[in-house]
Amino acid sequence: MPKVHIESALYERARKAADAIGYSSLEEFVAHCIENELKKLNIEEAEKHVTNQLRGLGYIE
Amino acid sequence: MTDAIIIVSGLPRSGTSLMMQLLAAGGIPTLTDHIRTPDPDNPRGYYEFERVKKVKTDRTWLPDARGKAVKMVSQLLFDLPTDENYRVLFMERDLDEVLISQEKMLARLGRPAANRHELKQAFLWHLNRVHKWLLEQPNFAVLRVAYADLVTHPTEQIARVNAFLGERLDEQQAAAAVDPTLYRNRKTREET
Repeated sequence: MPKVHIESALYERARKAADAIGYSSLEEFVAHCIENELKKLNIEEAEKHVTNQLRGLGYIE
Repeated sequence: MTDAIIIVSGLPRSGTSLMMQLLAAGGIPTLTDHIRTPDPDNPRGYYEFERVKKVKTDRTWLPDARGKAVKMVSQLLFDLPTDENYRVLFMERDLDEVLISQEKMLARLGRPAANRHELKQAFLWHLNRVHKWLLEQPNFAVLRVAYADLVTHPTEQIARVNAFLGERLDEQQAAAAVDPTLYRNRKTREET
């Protein structure tokens, strides 16, 4: 499973927040945060638009 | 530098075919298969090589591309292996012009066009991602070329390209391949 490095202070803040909110683990909290940010950025949607357009034009399979 | 694969990249309808034409005219060998024939969208031909579409799974053609120019849309750059060196000529064109031109091409193909606003945002995100990624790749050198500048000031832009490619290009012959009348779907001042 991939790992990411974060500053110790941020790690502690995240751990406390995860406890306080009621997440079962820090991993669950971090995954939820990342999911939310990705939704905001709409990256997957953008990727789909680009892929569909390039495929429609015949430039990718 | 002569062993590097020259990749002409960018979004479809950003001037990649024009760049391939002028490289060919200027004496750079091109890797093309002529499967996609000239049509109203590209009256001088596409200069494409179908096998680039499968580069993720079939890389056997890459050694033959060394020292040659091959055209590849920007999304496929991510699939290129790290054991080759690449000199990327990245074509850039006003996104509204790109989208209008792509819509016309899709209409000719009988395919539906996507929402232009959503697609523009998606392409902006895509281009940002590609350029960020390219900066991090040690085996990629990149020269960004603006299509509008290439058409309006071919001599200057071709000199930039030639310097980037190690002075292998016959600049006069390359410049003769630029036909400003093929700059269609140009955004007017009122539209900007």
